[in-house]
Amino acid sequence: MIYKFVAALDKRFGFEHAKAHCDVPCGIYDPSSAQIAALTVVRMMDLIADLESKGGDKNAAYQNTLNRYIAVKEEHAEKAKHEIRIIWGDYIKPQHIEKHPNVHDLVHKIMQLGSKSRQTADRETAVQLVEAINQFAEIFWETKGITTKRAKAPYAPALEVVYPVL
Amino acid sequence: MLRMIKVTGESLSPLFHEGDYVLITTIPFMIRKIKPGDTVVFQHPSYGTLIKQVESTALDEGSISVIGTNPDSVDSRRFGPIQREDVVGKVIWHIAMPGR
Repeated sequence: MIYKFVAALDKRFGFEHAKAHCDVPCGIYDPSSAQIAALTVVRMMDLIADLESKGGDKNAAYQNTLNRYIAVKEEHAEKAKHEIRIIWGDYIKPQHIEKHPNVHDLVHKIMQLGSKSRQTADRETAVQLVEAINQFAEIFWETKGITTKRAKAPYAPALEVVYPVL
Repeated sequence: MLRMIKVTGESLSPLFHEGDYVLITTIPFMIRKIKPGDTVVFQHPSYGTLIKQVESTALDEGSISVIGTNPDSVDSRRFGPIQREDVVGKVIWHIAMPGR
């Protein structure tokens, strides 16, 4: 009851914040790590498909290369999920959610796509992961009042990526 | 005299959590009586407005060692004691977010 009353006053008048600060100085948030990780997932799927298309013996060298691609795909799909969870959990505040009410659904979609990218070698899923994280990046930069642009990454798999215009 | 402040971060958990409110007194006479265990809001040149617990005060009360209850807290263990004049106020009322 009292909390609701105080929260309503806060919403109207905006009370000062005092940080109960943890760990390293916070405020360093950037979705680019997640974007690069998602691009890496697509790249690994392309390399897996390329390796498969070459045919030949499924010898030790083949197995070694395939397993390395899969391991990197696993690692970066999880990293993409981790980075988004950090921004969503530590940075996104009620005022951001009010302005971007779809952010929870978007983050959940990213988690799902990230998991599916680990479970499968379905390129389309990974491309959707890149796009979902792009949309999250657009929201993130908007909360900082920074405009964004979309451009193709200058490296394989050369997918469209959201960049801040700084 | 009195100011309402919103807590962000978790360095004082489980006592205070993100989203809690605290009422602080900025009356100098009240602030003078800072003692270990008090929770204070203060200005730090690098970290801005912080809220921490008082661990100890120097004999001349010129400096105060502050600490968080969370092991990962950034406090006097990281940045040393704070100066008394940097203290904005002392917490006199804690309004916790319901449901915790």
